[in-house]
Amino acid sequence: MSDFTDKELIDELKKRFEQNKQALKEVQELNLELREVNQKLEESESLKSHFISNITNEIINPFASILALSKNILSVEKENWKKVISMVSLIYSEAFDLDFQLRNIFVAAKLEAGEIFPEIVNVDVKQLIDSLIESFKYDTKKRKITITSNFNIQVKSNQSYFFKTDPEKLKLILSNLLSNSVKFSKNESNIDINVSLENSNIVIAVQDFGAGISSQNQKIIFDRFKRLDSGINSLHRGHGLGLSINKALLDLLGGSIDIQSKLDQGACFTISIPENESEVSGFAFDGNDLFFDDDESFSKDVESF
Amino acid sequence: MDKIESHFLYPAALFASKKPHQINTILGSCVAVCIWDKTLNYGGMCHYMLPYWNGEGLASPKYGNIAIDKLIEKMYSFGSERISLVAKVFGGGEVIDFKNPQFHIGKRNIKLASEMLNERKINIISSSLGGKLGRKIIFNTHSGEVKQKYVQRQINDFSSDSEE
Repeated sequence: MSDFTDKELIDELKKRFEQNKQALKEVQELNLELREVNQKLEESESLKSHFISNITNEIINPFASILALSKNILSVEKENWKKVISMVSLIYSEAFDLDFQLRNIFVAAKLEAGEIFPEIVNVDVKQLIDSLIESFKYDTKKRKITITSNFNIQVKSNQSYFFKTDPEKLKLILSNLLSNSVKFSKNESNIDINVSLENSNIVIAVQDFGAGISSQNQKIIFDRFKRLDSGINSLHRGHGLGLSINKALLDLLGGSIDIQSKLDQGACFTISIPENESEVSGFAFDGNDLFFDDDESFSKDVESF
Repeated sequence: MDKIESHFLYPAALFASKKPHQINTILGSCVAVCIWDKTLNYGGMCHYMLPYWNGEGLASPKYGNIAIDKLIEKMYSFGSERISLVAKVFGGGEVIDFKNPQFHIGKRNIKLASEMLNERKINIISSSLGGKLGRKIIFNTHSGEVKQKYVQRQINDFSSDSEE
Protein backbone atom coordinates (compact mmCIF):
# COMPACT_ATOMS: atom_id res chain seq x y z
CA MET A 1 0.00 0.00 0.00
CA SER A 2 2.79 2.34 0.83
CA ASP A 3 4.04 2.12 -2.75
CA PHE A 4 1.84 5.04 -3.70
CA THR A 5 3.24 8.49 -3.61
CA ASP A 6 1.01 11.35 -2.56
CA LYS A 7 0.80 12.57 -6.10
CA GLU A 8 -0.38 9.20 -7.36
CA LEU A 9 -2.99 9.07 -4.66
CA ILE A 10 -4.27 12.50 -5.54
CA ASP A 11 -4.35 11.64 -9.22
CA GLU A 12 -6.29 8.47 -8.50
CA LEU A 13 -8.75 10.38 -6.32
CA LYS A 14 -9.18 12.98 -9.01
CA LYS A 15 -9.85 10.28 -11.56
CA ARG A 16 -12.50 8.64 -9.39
CA PHE A 17 -14.07 11.96 -8.65
CA GLU A 18 -14.26 12.64 -12.38
CA GLN A 19 -15.85 9.24 -12.94
CA ASN A 20 -18.45 9.89 -10.28
CA LYS A 21 -19.27 13.19 -11.82
CA GLN A 22 -19.62 11.54 -15.19
CA ALA A 23 -21.91 8.85 -13.77
CA LEU A 24 -24.06 11.43 -12.06
CA LYS A 25 -24.38 13.35 -15.29
CA GLU A 26 -25.43 10.20 -17.11
CA VAL A 27 -28.05 9.42 -14.50
CA GLN A 28 -29.41 12.93 -14.79
CA GLU A 29 -29.58 12.63 -18.54
CA LEU A 30 -31.35 9.31 -18.28
CA ASN A 31 -33.82 10.79 -15.85
CA LEU A 32 -34.59 13.58 -18.24
CA GLU A 33 -35.08 11.10 -21.04
CA LEU A 34 -37.38 9.04 -18.87
CA ARG A 35 -39.51 12.08 -18.13
CA GLU A 36 -39.76 12.86 -21.83
CA VAL A 37 -40.75 9.31 -22.69
CA ASN A 38 -43.33 9.34 -19.93
CA GLN A 39 -44.86 12.47 -21.29
CA LYS A 40 -44.88 11.06 -24.78
CA LEU A 41 -46.67 7.92 -23.68
CA GLU A 42 -49.30 9.94 -21.88
CA GLU A 43 -49.78 12.07 -24.95
CA SER A 44 -49.99 9.04 -27.20
CA GLU A 45 -52.70 7.59 -24.98
CA SER A 46 -54.81 10.72 -25.19
CA LEU A 47 -54.21 11.08 -28.92
CA LYS A 48 -55.42 7.53 -29.32
CA SER A 49 -58.78 8.42 -27.90
CA HIS A 50 -58.97 11.50 -30.16
CA PHE A 51 -58.18 9.20 -33.02
CA ILE A 52 -61.47 7.36 -32.68
CA SER A 53 -63.51 10.53 -32.96
CA ASN A 54 -61.25 11.83 -35.72
CA ILE A 55 -61.53 8.73 -37.76
CA THR A 56 -65.27 8.69 -37.44
CA ASN A 57 -65.33 11.98 -39.29
CA GLU A 58 -62.76 10.85 -41.80
CA ILE A 59 -64.85 7.87 -42.76
CA ILE A 60 -68.38 9.08 -42.25
CA ASN A 61 -68.02 12.37 -44.11
CA PRO A 62 -66.77 10.92 -47.38
CA PHE A 63 -69.34 8.17 -47.14
CA ALA A 64 -72.12 10.64 -46.59
CA SER A 65 -71.05 12.63 -49.66
CA ILE A 66 -70.81 9.50 -51.77
CA LEU A 67 -74.29 8.44 -50.68
CA ALA A 68 -75.80 11.85 -51.26
CA LEU A 69 -74.14 12.28 -54.65
CA SER A 70 -75.19 8.90 -55.93
CA LYS A 71 -78.72 9.51 -54.73
CA ASN A 72 -78.73 12.77 -56.68
CA ILE A 73 -77.49 11.01 -59.77
CA LEU A 74 -80.37 8.57 -59.53
CA SER A 75 -82.86 11.43 -59.62
CA VAL A 76 -81.22 13.45 -62.39
CA GLU A 77 -83.52 14.20 -65.33
CA LYS A 78 -82.46 12.82 -68.66
CA GLU A 79 -81.83 16.21 -70.23
CA ASN A 80 -79.45 17.20 -67.43
CA TRP A 81 -77.14 14.24 -67.93
CA LYS A 82 -74.11 16.50 -68.19
CA LYS A 83 -74.37 17.26 -64.48
CA VAL A 84 -73.72 13.59 -63.81
CA ILE A 85 -70.15 13.80 -65.02
CA SER A 86 -69.09 16.32 -62.43
CA MET A 87 -70.93 14.40 -59.71
CA VAL A 88 -69.21 11.19 -60.68
CA SER A 89 -65.83 12.86 -60.52
CA LEU A 90 -66.70 14.10 -57.04
CA ILE A 91 -67.69 10.58 -56.03
CA TYR A 92 -64.42 9.30 -57.42
CA SER A 93 -62.45 11.87 -55.48
CA GLU A 94 -64.20 11.04 -52.20
CA ALA A 95 -63.87 7.31 -52.78
CA PHE A 96 -60.20 7.69 -53.64
CA ASP A 97 -59.62 9.54 -50.43
CA LEU A 98 -61.52 7.00 -48.40
CA ASP A 99 -59.61 4.13 -49.97
CA PHE A 100 -56.32 5.84 -49.15
CA GLN A 101 -57.32 6.48 -45.53
CA LEU A 102 -58.53 2.93 -45.01
CA ARG A 103 -55.41 1.44 -46.58
CA ASN A 104 -53.30 3.38 -44.12
CA ILE A 105 -55.39 2.31 -41.17
CA PHE A 106 -55.25 -1.35 -42.14
CA VAL A 107 -51.50 -1.23 -42.67
CA ALA A 108 -51.05 0.50 -39.31
CA ALA A 109 -53.13 -2.22 -37.64
CA LYS A 110 -51.07 -4.91 -39.34
CA LEU A 111 -47.82 -3.21 -38.35
CA GLU A 112 -48.91 -2.94 -34.74
CA ALA A 113 -49.90 -6.61 -34.77
CA GLY A 114 -46.52 -7.51 -36.30
CA GLU A 115 -48.22 -9.30 -39.14
CA ILE A 116 -46.64 -7.57 -42.08
CA PHE A 117 -43.67 -8.72 -44.12
CA PRO A 118 -42.04 -7.57 -47.36
CA GLU A 119 -43.15 -9.17 -50.60
CA ILE A 120 -40.30 -8.52 -52.96
CA VAL A 121 -40.67 -8.34 -56.72
CA ASN A 122 -39.02 -6.37 -59.52
CA VAL A 123 -40.65 -2.98 -59.51
CA ASP A 124 -40.75 -0.52 -62.38
CA VAL A 125 -40.23 2.53 -60.19
CA LYS A 126 -40.82 5.08 -62.93
CA GLN A 127 -44.13 3.55 -63.85
CA LEU A 128 -45.13 3.36 -60.20
CA ILE A 129 -44.43 7.03 -59.66
CA ASP A 130 -46.18 8.06 -62.87
CA SER A 131 -49.32 6.16 -61.94
CA LEU A 132 -49.18 7.68 -58.48
CA ILE A 133 -49.01 11.23 -59.88
CA GLU A 134 -51.90 10.31 -62.14
CA SER A 135 -53.96 9.19 -59.15
CA PHE A 136 -53.60 12.58 -57.49
CA LYS A 137 -54.62 14.34 -60.68
CA TYR A 138 -58.08 15.25 -59.51
CA ASP A 139 -56.79 17.16 -56.49
CA THR A 140 -53.85 18.74 -58.25
CA LYS A 141 -55.89 19.85 -61.24
CA LYS A 142 -58.47 21.49 -59.05
CA ARG A 143 -55.83 23.45 -57.18
CA LYS A 144 -53.52 24.00 -60.15
CA ILE A 145 -50.59 22.19 -58.57
CA THR A 146 -48.00 20.78 -60.94
CA ILE A 147 -46.18 17.60 -60.02
CA THR A 148 -43.01 16.93 -62.01
CA SER A 149 -40.86 13.87 -61.69
CA ASN A 150 -37.19 13.64 -62.63
CA PHE A 151 -35.94 10.16 -63.14
CA ASN A 152 -32.16 10.33 -62.89
CA ILE A 153 -31.31 6.73 -63.44
CA GLN A 154 -29.58 5.75 -66.66
CA VAL A 155 -31.28 3.00 -68.58
CA LYS A 156 -30.96 1.84 -72.13
CA SER A 157 -33.62 3.27 -74.37
CA ASN A 158 -36.84 1.32 -74.55
CA GLN A 159 -36.00 -0.48 -71.37
CA SER A 160 -37.55 -0.05 -67.99
CA TYR A 161 -35.58 0.23 -64.82
CA PHE A 162 -36.44 -2.48 -62.31
CA PHE A 163 -35.70 -2.29 -58.63
CA LYS A 164 -36.19 -5.20 -56.22
CA THR A 165 -38.48 -4.08 -53.44
CA ASP A 166 -42.05 -4.33 -52.20
CA PRO A 167 -44.27 -2.35 -54.60
CA GLU A 168 -47.33 -2.12 -52.33
CA LYS A 169 -45.32 -0.72 -49.44
CA LEU A 170 -43.30 1.63 -51.63
CA LYS A 171 -46.51 2.88 -53.16
CA LEU A 172 -48.09 3.58 -49.81
CA ILE A 173 -44.96 5.34 -48.55
CA LEU A 174 -44.90 7.59 -51.62
CA SER A 175 -48.67 8.14 -51.49
CA ASN A 176 -48.33 9.38 -47.94
CA LEU A 177 -45.52 11.76 -48.87
CA LEU A 178 -47.30 13.02 -51.95
CA SER A 179 -50.62 13.38 -50.18
CA ASN A 180 -48.95 15.50 -47.50
CA SER A 181 -47.17 17.60 -50.10
CA VAL A 182 -50.38 18.24 -52.01
CA LYS A 183 -52.26 18.96 -48.79
CA PHE A 184 -49.79 21.56 -47.58
CA SER A 185 -48.94 23.15 -50.92
CA LYS A 186 -50.30 26.49 -51.93
CA ASN A 187 -52.54 26.69 -54.96
CA GLU A 188 -50.69 27.06 -58.25
CA SER A 189 -47.39 25.77 -56.92
CA ASN A 190 -45.06 22.94 -57.84
CA ILE A 191 -44.10 19.63 -56.33
CA ASP A 192 -40.88 18.00 -57.51
CA ILE A 193 -40.10 14.31 -57.29
CA ASN A 194 -36.48 13.32 -57.80
CA VAL A 195 -35.40 9.73 -58.24
CA SER A 196 -31.77 8.67 -58.21
CA LEU A 197 -29.47 5.83 -57.26
CA GLU A 198 -26.84 6.14 -54.52
CA ASN A 199 -24.70 3.10 -53.71
CA SER A 200 -27.42 0.80 -54.99
CA ASN A 201 -29.99 2.50 -52.76
CA ILE A 202 -32.91 4.06 -54.52
CA VAL A 203 -33.33 7.63 -53.31
CA ILE A 204 -36.62 9.40 -53.86
CA ALA A 205 -37.08 13.00 -52.79
CA VAL A 206 -40.46 14.74 -52.67
CA GLN A 207 -40.11 18.50 -52.51
CA ASP A 208 -42.98 20.91 -52.03
CA PHE A 209 -43.08 24.68 -51.61
CA GLY A 210 -45.86 24.91 -49.10
CA ALA A 211 -46.28 25.44 -45.39
CA GLY A 212 -43.05 23.81 -44.25
CA ILE A 213 -42.32 22.36 -40.83
CA SER A 214 -40.41 24.04 -38.02
CA SER A 215 -37.38 22.19 -36.69
CA GLN A 216 -39.15 21.72 -33.38
CA ASN A 217 -42.06 19.99 -35.06
CA GLN A 218 -39.80 17.87 -37.21
CA LYS A 219 -39.08 15.76 -34.16
CA ILE A 220 -42.67 14.81 -33.51
CA ILE A 221 -44.16 14.32 -36.97
CA PHE A 222 -43.26 10.63 -36.95
CA ASP A 223 -45.27 9.97 -33.78
CA ARG A 224 -48.51 8.22 -34.38
CA PHE A 225 -51.77 10.17 -34.48
CA LYS A 226 -49.77 13.37 -34.37
CA ARG A 227 -51.19 16.15 -36.52
CA LEU A 228 -49.62 19.54 -36.45
CA ASP A 229 -52.87 21.35 -37.00
CA SER A 230 -55.41 19.21 -35.26
CA GLY A 231 -58.53 20.66 -33.79
CA ILE A 232 -62.03 21.16 -34.97
CA ASN A 233 -61.25 23.97 -37.40
CA SER A 234 -58.46 22.14 -39.12
CA LEU A 235 -58.40 22.80 -42.83
CA HIS A 236 -56.62 19.59 -43.58
CA ARG A 237 -57.98 16.14 -43.41
CA GLY A 238 -56.03 13.20 -42.17
CA HIS A 239 -55.56 10.83 -39.32
CA GLY A 240 -51.97 11.56 -38.34
CA LEU A 241 -50.80 8.07 -39.18
CA GLY A 242 -49.09 8.58 -42.53
CA LEU A 243 -45.55 9.40 -41.45
CA SER A 244 -45.46 6.94 -38.57
CA ILE A 245 -46.54 4.26 -41.04
CA ASN A 246 -43.85 5.40 -43.45
CA LYS A 247 -41.22 5.09 -40.77
CA ALA A 248 -42.30 1.57 -39.85
CA LEU A 249 -42.59 0.46 -43.47
CA LEU A 250 -39.14 1.84 -44.24
CA ASP A 251 -37.78 -0.08 -41.24
CA LEU A 252 -39.27 -3.18 -42.81
CA LEU A 253 -37.58 -2.50 -46.15
CA GLY A 254 -34.31 -1.55 -44.45
CA GLY A 255 -34.61 2.05 -45.62
CA SER A 256 -34.58 5.46 -44.01
CA ILE A 257 -36.38 8.79 -44.22
CA ASP A 258 -34.96 12.25 -43.93
CA ILE A 259 -36.59 15.65 -43.80
CA GLN A 260 -35.36 19.09 -44.70
CA SER A 261 -37.66 21.98 -44.11
CA LYS A 262 -38.07 25.46 -42.78
CA LEU A 263 -41.31 27.04 -41.74
CA ASP A 264 -43.09 28.68 -44.70
CA GLN A 265 -40.42 27.51 -47.10
CA GLY A 266 -41.70 24.11 -48.10
CA ALA A 267 -40.50 20.68 -47.11
CA CYS A 268 -38.40 18.02 -48.73
CA PHE A 269 -38.82 14.42 -47.63
CA THR A 270 -36.17 12.02 -48.89
CA ILE A 271 -36.45 8.28 -48.62
CA SER A 272 -33.66 5.84 -49.31
CA ILE A 273 -34.23 2.12 -49.76
CA PRO A 274 -31.57 -0.54 -50.37
CA GLU A 275 -32.25 -3.01 -53.11
CA ASN A 276 -33.44 -6.31 -51.74
CA GLU A 277 -30.87 -9.02 -52.30
CA SER A 278 -33.16 -11.99 -52.58
CA GLU A 279 -33.71 -13.75 -55.87
CA VAL A 280 -37.05 -12.76 -57.28
CA SER A 281 -38.79 -13.53 -60.48
CA GLY A 282 -42.08 -11.65 -60.26
CA PHE A 283 -42.68 -8.27 -61.78
CA ALA A 284 -44.91 -5.40 -60.76
CA PHE A 285 -45.41 -2.34 -62.88
CA ASP A 286 -47.41 0.05 -60.82
CA GLY A 287 -47.97 -1.79 -57.59
CA ASN A 288 -51.31 -3.09 -58.72
CA ASP A 289 -50.47 -6.73 -58.30
CA LEU A 290 -49.57 -7.29 -61.90
CA PHE A 291 -47.31 -10.29 -61.60
CA PHE A 292 -45.63 -12.25 -64.31
CA ASP A 293 -43.69 -15.44 -64.22
CA ASP A 294 -40.09 -15.09 -65.17
CA ASP A 295 -39.90 -17.67 -67.93
CA GLU A 296 -42.96 -16.42 -69.70
CA SER A 297 -42.53 -12.72 -69.83
CA PHE A 298 -38.94 -11.65 -69.45
CA SER A 299 -36.09 -12.74 -71.58
CA LYS A 300 -33.05 -10.83 -72.75
CA ASP A 301 -33.93 -10.98 -76.42
CA VAL A 302 -36.74 -8.51 -76.47
CA GLU A 303 -40.07 -10.14 -76.91
CA SER A 304 -43.16 -8.07 -76.88
CA PHE A 305 -45.69 -8.94 -74.25
CA MET B 1 -45.45 -37.40 -42.68
CA ASP B 2 -46.58 -34.15 -44.22
CA LYS B 3 -44.03 -31.46 -44.69
CA ILE B 4 -44.85 -28.69 -42.23
CA GLU B 5 -45.26 -25.13 -43.40
CA SER B 6 -42.42 -22.76 -42.79
CA HIS B 7 -42.60 -19.08 -41.99
CA PHE B 8 -39.79 -16.56 -42.06
CA LEU B 9 -40.18 -14.12 -39.21
CA TYR B 10 -38.99 -10.60 -39.99
CA PRO B 11 -37.70 -8.26 -37.34
CA ALA B 12 -40.53 -6.40 -35.58
CA ALA B 13 -42.95 -9.16 -36.52
CA LEU B 14 -44.82 -11.76 -34.57
CA PHE B 15 -46.18 -15.13 -35.60
CA ALA B 16 -48.27 -17.72 -33.82
CA SER B 17 -50.48 -20.46 -35.15
CA LYS B 18 -52.34 -23.51 -33.92
CA LYS B 19 -51.18 -25.39 -37.00
CA PRO B 20 -47.71 -26.88 -36.89
CA HIS B 21 -45.18 -24.50 -38.38
CA GLN B 22 -41.48 -24.13 -38.67
CA ILE B 23 -40.60 -20.52 -37.85
CA ASN B 24 -37.22 -19.26 -39.03
CA THR B 25 -35.51 -16.06 -38.07
CA ILE B 26 -32.10 -14.43 -37.92
CA LEU B 27 -30.97 -12.50 -34.85
CA GLY B 28 -28.24 -10.01 -34.08
CA SER B 29 -28.83 -7.85 -31.05
CA CYS B 30 -32.54 -8.58 -31.47
CA VAL B 31 -34.18 -11.09 -29.19
CA ALA B 32 -36.62 -13.80 -30.22
CA VAL B 33 -39.03 -15.18 -27.62
CA CYS B 34 -40.60 -18.54 -28.48
CA ILE B 35 -43.64 -19.46 -26.46
CA TRP B 36 -44.86 -23.03 -26.59
CA ASP B 37 -47.95 -24.65 -25.19
CA LYS B 38 -46.71 -27.99 -23.90
CA THR B 39 -50.15 -29.56 -23.51
CA LEU B 40 -51.76 -28.37 -26.75
CA ASN B 41 -48.53 -28.59 -28.81
CA TYR B 42 -48.41 -25.33 -30.68
CA GLY B 43 -46.59 -22.06 -30.30
CA GLY B 44 -45.47 -18.72 -31.59
CA MET B 45 -42.49 -16.45 -31.76
CA CYS B 46 -41.82 -12.73 -31.64
CA HIS B 47 -38.68 -10.96 -32.80
CA TYR B 48 -38.08 -7.56 -31.26
CA MET B 49 -35.35 -5.04 -31.87
CA LEU B 50 -35.51 -2.69 -28.90
CA PRO B 51 -36.66 -3.18 -25.32
CA TYR B 52 -39.17 -0.40 -24.74
CA TRP B 53 -41.55 1.59 -26.88
CA ASN B 54 -40.81 5.24 -26.22
CA GLY B 55 -43.94 6.70 -27.77
CA GLU B 56 -42.22 7.22 -31.11
CA GLY B 57 -43.84 5.90 -34.26
CA LEU B 58 -46.22 3.00 -34.08
CA ALA B 59 -46.64 0.76 -31.05
CA SER B 60 -45.42 -2.25 -33.01
CA PRO B 61 -43.77 -5.49 -31.89
CA LYS B 62 -40.47 -3.87 -32.80
CA TYR B 63 -40.41 -3.17 -29.08
CA GLY B 64 -40.06 -5.98 -26.56
CA ASN B 65 -42.57 -4.75 -24.01
CA ILE B 66 -45.23 -4.72 -26.73
CA ALA B 67 -44.14 -7.85 -28.60
CA ILE B 68 -44.04 -10.18 -25.61
CA ASP B 69 -47.45 -9.14 -24.32
CA LYS B 70 -48.99 -9.42 -27.78
CA LEU B 71 -47.56 -12.90 -28.22
CA ILE B 72 -48.83 -14.09 -24.84
CA GLU B 73 -52.23 -12.55 -25.55
CA LYS B 74 -52.35 -14.39 -28.85
CA MET B 75 -51.59 -17.70 -27.16
CA TYR B 76 -54.39 -17.07 -24.66
CA SER B 77 -56.76 -16.21 -27.49
CA PHE B 78 -56.04 -19.62 -29.01
CA GLY B 79 -57.16 -21.18 -25.73
CA SER B 80 -53.89 -21.72 -23.92
CA GLU B 81 -53.66 -21.76 -20.13
CA ARG B 82 -50.84 -19.92 -18.47
CA ILE B 83 -49.78 -23.03 -16.59
CA SER B 84 -48.94 -24.92 -19.78
CA LEU B 85 -46.95 -22.15 -21.45
CA VAL B 86 -43.18 -22.30 -21.52
CA ALA B 87 -40.70 -19.97 -23.14
CA LYS B 88 -37.38 -20.22 -24.91
CA VAL B 89 -35.34 -17.07 -25.44
CA PHE B 90 -32.60 -16.43 -27.99
CA GLY B 91 -30.39 -13.67 -29.31
CA GLY B 92 -29.24 -10.41 -27.81
CA GLY B 93 -25.69 -10.69 -29.09
CA GLU B 94 -23.49 -7.61 -29.10
CA VAL B 95 -22.76 -7.71 -32.80
CA ILE B 96 -21.63 -4.11 -32.79
CA ASP B 97 -19.19 -2.81 -30.20
CA PHE B 98 -20.33 0.21 -28.27
CA LYS B 99 -18.40 1.99 -25.55
CA ASN B 100 -21.39 3.52 -23.86
CA PRO B 101 -23.29 0.93 -21.79
CA GLN B 102 -26.55 2.63 -22.74
CA PHE B 103 -26.08 1.32 -26.25
CA HIS B 104 -25.76 -2.30 -25.21
CA ILE B 105 -29.03 -3.10 -26.90
CA GLY B 106 -28.52 -6.85 -26.79
CA LYS B 107 -28.11 -6.86 -23.01
CA ARG B 108 -31.10 -4.60 -22.48
CA ASN B 109 -33.22 -6.78 -24.77
CA ILE B 110 -32.23 -9.90 -22.83
CA LYS B 111 -32.99 -8.26 -19.49
CA LEU B 112 -36.42 -7.23 -20.65
CA ALA B 113 -37.33 -10.75 -21.81
CA SER B 114 -36.39 -12.40 -18.54
CA GLU B 115 -38.10 -9.70 -16.46
CA MET B 116 -41.34 -9.75 -18.41
CA LEU B 117 -41.59 -13.54 -18.60
CA ASN B 118 -40.87 -13.76 -14.88
CA GLU B 119 -43.56 -11.24 -14.07
CA ARG B 120 -46.04 -13.12 -16.20
CA LYS B 121 -44.97 -16.37 -14.54
CA ILE B 122 -43.93 -18.13 -17.71
CA ASN B 123 -40.92 -20.39 -17.23
CA ILE B 124 -37.92 -19.97 -19.47
CA ILE B 125 -36.93 -23.57 -20.06
CA SER B 126 -34.00 -22.90 -22.31
CA SER B 127 -32.10 -20.02 -23.79
CA SER B 128 -29.03 -19.01 -25.70
CA LEU B 129 -28.22 -15.39 -25.15
CA GLY B 130 -25.52 -12.78 -25.52
CA GLY B 131 -22.14 -13.35 -27.05
CA LYS B 132 -20.73 -11.62 -30.08
CA LEU B 133 -22.28 -13.66 -32.86
CA GLY B 134 -25.57 -13.58 -34.68
CA ARG B 135 -27.92 -16.54 -34.59
CA LYS B 136 -30.15 -18.41 -36.95
CA ILE B 137 -33.14 -19.93 -35.20
CA ILE B 138 -35.60 -22.58 -36.31
CA PHE B 139 -38.59 -23.18 -34.04
CA ASN B 140 -40.83 -26.16 -34.62
CA THR B 141 -44.14 -25.08 -33.12
CA HIS B 142 -45.46 -28.65 -32.95
CA SER B 143 -42.65 -30.27 -30.98
CA GLY B 144 -41.48 -27.10 -29.26
CA GLU B 145 -38.00 -27.90 -30.44
CA VAL B 146 -35.66 -25.05 -31.35
CA LYS B 147 -32.56 -25.41 -33.47
CA GLN B 148 -29.86 -22.77 -33.43
CA LYS B 149 -26.88 -22.02 -35.59
CA TYR B 150 -24.34 -19.25 -35.01
CA VAL B 151 -23.72 -16.99 -37.96
CA GLN B 152 -20.93 -14.53 -38.66
CA ARG B 153 -21.45 -10.94 -37.68
CA GLN B 154 -21.97 -9.36 -41.09
CA ILE B 155 -25.70 -10.00 -40.89
CA ASN B 156 -28.01 -7.04 -41.31
CA ASP B 157 -28.43 -5.54 -37.94
CA PHE B 158 -31.71 -3.77 -38.09
CA SER B 159 -31.54 -2.16 -34.70
CA SER B 160 -28.41 -0.13 -35.16
CA ASP B 161 -30.12 2.91 -36.62
CA SER B 162 -33.01 3.23 -34.26
CA GLU B 163 -31.23 4.10 -31.06
CA GLU B 164 -29.95 7.61 -31.30
